[in-house]
Amino acid sequence: MLRFYFEVARTAYRRQLIYRWANLAGLLTNIFFGAIFSYVMIALFHTRPVAAGFNVRDALRYIWLLQAMVMVVLTFGWYDLMLTIRSGEVVSDLSKPCDFYWYWFSREAGRSIYYLLFRGLPTYLAGMLLFGFGAPGDWKLWLVYATSLPLAVMIGIAYRFLFNIVAFWILEARAVAGFATTIALFFSGSYVPLPFFPEWLQTITTWLPFNGLMNVPVQIFLGKLTGEALLFGLGLQVLWVILLTLGVRSLVSIAARRVIVQGG
Amino acid sequence: MAMIEAEGLSKTFRVARRRPGLLGGLRNIIDPQIRTVQAVQDLSLHVERGEMIGLVGPNGAGKSTTIKMLTGILMPTGGYMRVAGLNPLHQRRELASRIGVVFGQRSQLWWDLPLIDSLQLLRYLYRVPEKRHSDNLARLRKMLDLDEFLDTPVRQLSLGQRMRGDLAAALLHDPELLYLDEPTIGLDVVAKARIREFLLAINAEQGVTVLLTTHDMDDVETLCPRMLIIDHGRKLYDGTVVEIRERFGGERKLIAVLDPVEAAALPHDAKGQPVLSELPGGVHQVQAEAPRIWLAFGRNSIAAHELVAWLGARHHLRDVTFQEPEIEEVIRRIYEEGLLLRENGISAPV
Amino acid sequence: MISKLLVDLRLYWHLIAMQLRAQMQYKMSVLIDVVTYLSVTSLEFVPVLIYFGPFPSLLGWKVGEVALLYAITSMSFGLAELFGAGIDAFDETIRRGEFDRVLLRPVGALLQVVSSEFRLRRLGRITEGLLVFILALSLLPGLEWTPLKLAILPISIISGALVFIAILLLGATLCFWTIETTELTNILTYGGREMLSYPLTIYHQGLQCFFLFVIPLAFGTYVPTCYLLGRTLPFGLSSEWAFGAPLVALTFAIISGATWRFGVHHYQSTGS
Repeated sequence: MLRFYFEVARTAYRRQLIYRWANLAGLLTNIFFGAIFSYVMIALFHTRPVAAGFNVRDALRYIWLLQAMVMVVLTFGWYDLMLTIRSGEVVSDLSKPCDFYWYWFSREAGRSIYYLLFRGLPTYLAGMLLFGFGAPGDWKLWLVYATSLPLAVMIGIAYRFLFNIVAFWILEARAVAGFATTIALFFSGSYVPLPFFPEWLQTITTWLPFNGLMNVPVQIFLGKLTGEALLFGLGLQVLWVILLTLGVRSLVSIAARRVIVQGG
Repeated sequence: MAMIEAEGLSKTFRVARRRPGLLGGLRNIIDPQIRTVQAVQDLSLHVERGEMIGLVGPNGAGKSTTIKMLTGILMPTGGYMRVAGLNPLHQRRELASRIGVVFGQRSQLWWDLPLIDSLQLLRYLYRVPEKRHSDNLARLRKMLDLDEFLDTPVRQLSLGQRMRGDLAAALLHDPELLYLDEPTIGLDVVAKARIREFLLAINAEQGVTVLLTTHDMDDVETLCPRMLIIDHGRKLYDGTVVEIRERFGGERKLIAVLDPVEAAALPHDAKGQPVLSELPGGVHQVQAEAPRIWLAFGRNSIAAHELVAWLGARHHLRDVTFQEPEIEEVIRRIYEEGLLLRENGISAPV
Repeated sequence: MISKLLVDLRLYWHLIAMQLRAQMQYKMSVLIDVVTYLSVTSLEFVPVLIYFGPFPSLLGWKVGEVALLYAITSMSFGLAELFGAGIDAFDETIRRGEFDRVLLRPVGALLQVVSSEFRLRRLGRITEGLLVFILALSLLPGLEWTPLKLAILPISIISGALVFIAILLLGATLCFWTIETTELTNILTYGGREMLSYPLTIYHQGLQCFFLFVIPLAFGTYVPTCYLLGRTLPFGLSSEWAFGAPLVALTFAIISGATWRFGVHHYQSTGS
């Protein structure tokens, strides 16, 4: 069975390879926005060299790593599941002999690998070339980051799944989905790095799943999370992976039951 | 003044070869390999006001390309054309207000709006004065029976209803010339008959010139006294349906009804059907169901009346009728065997 | 000439009115759409406020000043989004092969494209722009308003909108050659909006030149804001240039219109 999921992931990865030009265009978009935010950061740090424990170089790395990770973790504008619900395809998907959630999970995992290689890496490299902020040399950081990133991806998959599956019950699912994406981006540090948020807001954002989506792994990469704070961050990620996955799975079984009763 | 005047019209497309892959895409920009496709060659056409013409030809023959040039959508590579006295390319918008176009596959109606809204909107688009518009609308509603679905959104209409809607839309501004591209495609027999009736009516009553592209030979036979055959970008034939049948019809059939007693006395074949023997040259029996006998004869072998005389001299004939070859058959033969191409001195790529 | 313009405007109105009527049938849906878009765009503004928590200024600009710039840019863009929706959706028209029908009508192609869509939801961003503008005013109690300054507001917003629409038109013209490049236009429009929401001077000199002299978005946004705030412009431009915005926008629009005509001509010679 595991072999099946692996194949699903591999097929999804291969299928993404076809969309070369779309990916290139998306890459340029990432780089453009990365550049804009970089200039804003540089201008902000002019008057105050260090803020919230960050200097300019940290801030630039934060922004670019985040831009690099967005597609890997969140895949902007993902409505695949919603579309199958709309078209009714989902009914046949639900009656397949494999686990519905793990099927979609594998698909998205495959795509994430693609985006890591062909979007994430080039984005960060481009940022390094344009603004010269380098990458941390400490291999231990990379190791911990490599642990945190998959957790973030899992949170991202479960979250996307969540706001797609509401299409079963809500007609305006598209609007909800767009909104859910914006919320995720905002609270994960995509618009403003989370460490710059006012204290009172940070107490909230720390506990949201979006923190584990991008902020935590990025801060690990920057070496800003160590010791207890690091364990806490990783623990939060694990917690949210479990909560979201369980939540989504129960929604799936409710939906599946509804489909059986109503016939799609 | 003629409605359509075209002389030596031609259109050559330059098509770049597409190479696959990212590397291929780059090579395409640096070193494009272009080949030329002659979609239309040296086509001349003369259509008078009030004519109804069928445009026939296999797929890819150049029919749509010709229509596109005549309507100003496409720029010809050579030749001369005037429609309603205007140059379609340079006076496109002026011409547009005097012609109507209906595509069988694609509607010009607004998908999400009720039919009536589309028809109202077109009034502004074509700048039709209110009185004329409402008069036309009333007339078209009656002729096409639109009332039952006038308020239905276009996307919910059946193909036949949508086609009627499109016809109304194309005629609201009193065009002098109407182009129809496969108007009866996909319609059932009743719907087709209705459309044909309508087209005959507007041609007869309002004198609208009609140019109709079609694969349906019944359309041509019922509607068009004149037919154009286009293949490989060339006009191969411009004449009547009758004439084409005579030139390429090959064989005609004569159905003779014999006296039953006499039929019984004739020699019989293995199936127990009567057989006529010693038929004149070029005539052979193709079928028999006593007392009927089907005889096929080449047009050039023997004249019809001669064959009737020959039969009458030897047998008692109760009845004689002639069966023309199906125009479908004729056209198919023309395409497949390149009959007209050969005649025009063109060798067709196999 | 004028009468022709009036006739075109009337036609535009009729085509839009029909769509509006169809959309307004689902009032709830429209409301949800507008509110959602308002929320999304407002959330996009919040970072500006957050930045000024830890940081005292943005290259000398205070929070109120940045908010003013942001608001003007937002309103320009929102206006362009609203009226340029048809141009934005042109890639769909080409994809569906509907441009032939456009050429078969006795009306200009551009007018038909512009009036092909009107999305009420885009009012969300214009509303956001207004709200941010009000916020900016409250954060700039010392700002003095002269009649000239009041005049510059609508002038610059409309000019900015015109430049944005002209960019959309350039993107639509590209569709005559390939429909794979719509994302690139988005970089210039959405990216441009984001970029111009912050003071132009924080960017690399090359980018500053680009958005002033090549794609003059800055003339409808940054330049008039500097005029309002009494700030000096880069490259030694005098602040009266703010009043030149309409001229600059019009020039750019004419160039954009010319490339569109070229695109239509190309379509007519190569077919679809």
